Amino acid sequence: MTVVGAFCVSVNREVCINSRMPGKCATCAEICPHGVYALDAYTGEMRIRNYNACVGCRICAEFCPEDAIRINPAESEYIARYPWTLATIEEIHYKAQTGEYLLRGFGTQQPTPHFDTITVVPSQIASPEPRDKYREACDLEVVIGEGTCEKPLHLKLPFVWPAMSFGALSKEAKMALAIGAAQTGIATNTGEGGLVDEEMWLSRGYIDEDFTKKEWEPGGYLIIQWSTGRWGVSTDYLNSGDAVEVKIGQGAKPGMGGHLLGSKVTEEIAKVRGIPVGSDALSPCRYYDVQTLEDMKNMVEFLRDVTNYQYPILFKLGPSRPYDDVAACIELGADAISIDGLVGGTGCSPDIVTQGVGIPTIACLPPAVQALKDHGVHRKVKLIALGGIRNGLDAFKAMAMGADAVGFGSAAEIAMGCRVCYACQKGNCPYGITSQKPEMRSRLDPIEVGQQLANFIHACAEEVKILTMLSGHNSIADLSTEDLRAMDMNTAALTGLKLAGYDRPLSFWEEGYKPVAIKANEK
Amino acid sequence: MTVINAKAKDLKTISNKLKENLNEEPIEVTNASHLHGLVAGLKHGEVIIQGNAGDYFGVLNAGATIRVTGDSGNYTADNMTSGTIIVDGNAGYGAGQYCYDGSVIIYGDAGDFTATMNKGAVIIVAGNVGDETGTYMLDGDLVVVGDAGENFANFLIRGNVYIGGKWKSLGHNTRVEELTQGDIEKLSGYFQTYDIKADPTKFTKIVAASEKPFYK
Repeated sequence: MTVVGAFCVSVNREVCINSRMPGKCATCAEICPHGVYALDAYTGEMRIRNYNACVGCRICAEFCPEDAIRINPAESEYIARYPWTLATIEEIHYKAQTGEYLLRGFGTQQPTPHFDTITVVPSQIASPEPRDKYREACDLEVVIGEGTCEKPLHLKLPFVWPAMSFGALSKEAKMALAIGAAQTGIATNTGEGGLVDEEMWLSRGYIDEDFTKKEWEPGGYLIIQWSTGRWGVSTDYLNSGDAVEVKIGQGAKPGMGGHLLGSKVTEEIAKVRGIPVGSDALSPCRYYDVQTLEDMKNMVEFLRDVTNYQYPILFKLGPSRPYDDVAACIELGADAISIDGLVGGTGCSPDIVTQGVGIPTIACLPPAVQALKDHGVHRKVKLIALGGIRNGLDAFKAMAMGADAVGFGSAAEIAMGCRVCYACQKGNCPYGITSQKPEMRSRLDPIEVGQQLANFIHACAEEVKILTMLSGHNSIADLSTEDLRAMDMNTAALTGLKLAGYDRPLSFWEEGYKPVAIKANEK
Repeated sequence: MTVINAKAKDLKTISNKLKENLNEEPIEVTNASHLHGLVAGLKHGEVIIQGNAGDYFGVLNAGATIRVTGDSGNYTADNMTSGTIIVDGNAGYGAGQYCYDGSVIIYGDAGDFTATMNKGAVIIVAGNVGDETGTYMLDGDLVVVGDAGENFANFLIRGNVYIGGKWKSLGHNTRVEELTQGDIEKLSGYFQTYDIKADPTKFTKIVAASEKPFYK
């Protein structure tokens, strides 16, 4: 591909030395090997002689003593340079200089098969008539653990805050999530970094630790995560919530454990986690205390025992082999299974893992649902879709594909004020969400931000309600894939949804999802 | 003494009986080797398992004193936060993992990955230990009177590892250090308390080379 005319060269004349004092500086003209700049030998003025000659090497910008030069692609970087985009070039330079791979926070950055190429099918005359969003009721409640434990979760809305640990998030952010959950009747989750004490009462709607002053109705739930690092885990910890979630993996870095870099391990976090201040807290990628599925089954059994058989047991999976993984969780006695797709986020992960490992969220759902159906437990063992869920539209689509509820992780951070800088791991979050620095944390008011989170959830719930009712349903439990169409071949191929216009699934999906047994030697 | 016969009973039944009788110390449980996760999460009391115990014996112990007179299965004393667990025989794979506090004493041998991610407990093995023992230990004391296998104390972060015998190979991020008088007195105290015949002055001490070995 030619690079002629591919880049825009701009010089800030206000700071350029040559502009102010001709002849005093001609660094750009001297350093540019492509003849973009020219120095007038008589006046000493530097000018851009040939924009088209710029190849985007940016050597002039690097050498400019006043940082006055900017080189930008005339077209998208992906058209001008792909696959050697500026980001790729900088990444290679970084590795060459440091010998280190890139770490970053948040989720995938590039276009990934997602919910956007799925459309909702409204109801008209040939299908059950639409319901009136303004004057009729719509059931959005989800119950987890009915018949298997003494205290099932009754989520008022089909949403959860997925696991985000204390450490990855600030204490204030954890408190805000708890308050948001309390105001909307949904569940928040400790994550694997131990318990912030305030989560216990705030998530249930109480403003005091004695549970005497209820500030927020209806009150929500607290899910306690049990994971591979076992940070801050004890019998009391397990009994401080309303459910226990066994973490197997997560969307942003399936097959890896947790990464909390030393810069975020403050005295308070070190105390909870039982590690030295400033040391990296790296959760193992697997349970050291599980070698077989039978072990995991025994683990579920003792978790039920330690919690006196009161609470549901949930599993959280990364996006790997959804059919087999979900089937295994069912065998293990899960009451609910979260499956976190490729688009899922994190506080810190190797860039290549977040970017390139795992199955897209929309492709995880059909095999996961099929596993539940094949075991006769679809809608009984609840399926929670995670990974890039942004609004009620994504939530509706996930639920129509067979999920019972969805989680808003990255979206929750954004609702708290995050601007998605992908640098959560550095601990400098200016909004106090992922920072442990007091000056940053002080910017996050848990009550105010808790209200923002509740507003976000209420808005998304209304969106789900609109879509459910215009599709002819009064309950999210009645949603099905018939309420959706894929808008391109790729999406139809990944999901098995009917292709819009063709109104049938692609031929290889006509009999639905067919599990492919993993051969023993592949395991 | 309350005696509970666990023969052909399930975990829930025996666990409920244990909790009901917890104040009548000690409680003796017989025929319990088929139960995994037995005596989990107790905050007080004294329990004796006559014979062998299954996997996850004493998991999440939060203060009870528990003894098994025979062997225990895999993952003994998993994630203990307080109390004492004593195994008169051998322990299987992964004893004393993820413990925060309390003491685990194994008079026989212990398997691979013993004391992995120990965060503060005292774990004493009077016999030998398998490979990868003390992996990613974050605090506490690990005392091995006999020999250790490969990758001993791999990626040690903090805490003290003492060994009376030899190891096949030492793990990453480890450093051998001279015993101090304090170490010798501490080991003497352990051996006296738990009636273990060993000379503390003959032990080798292993500590972490760095508290931050993974990322700069």
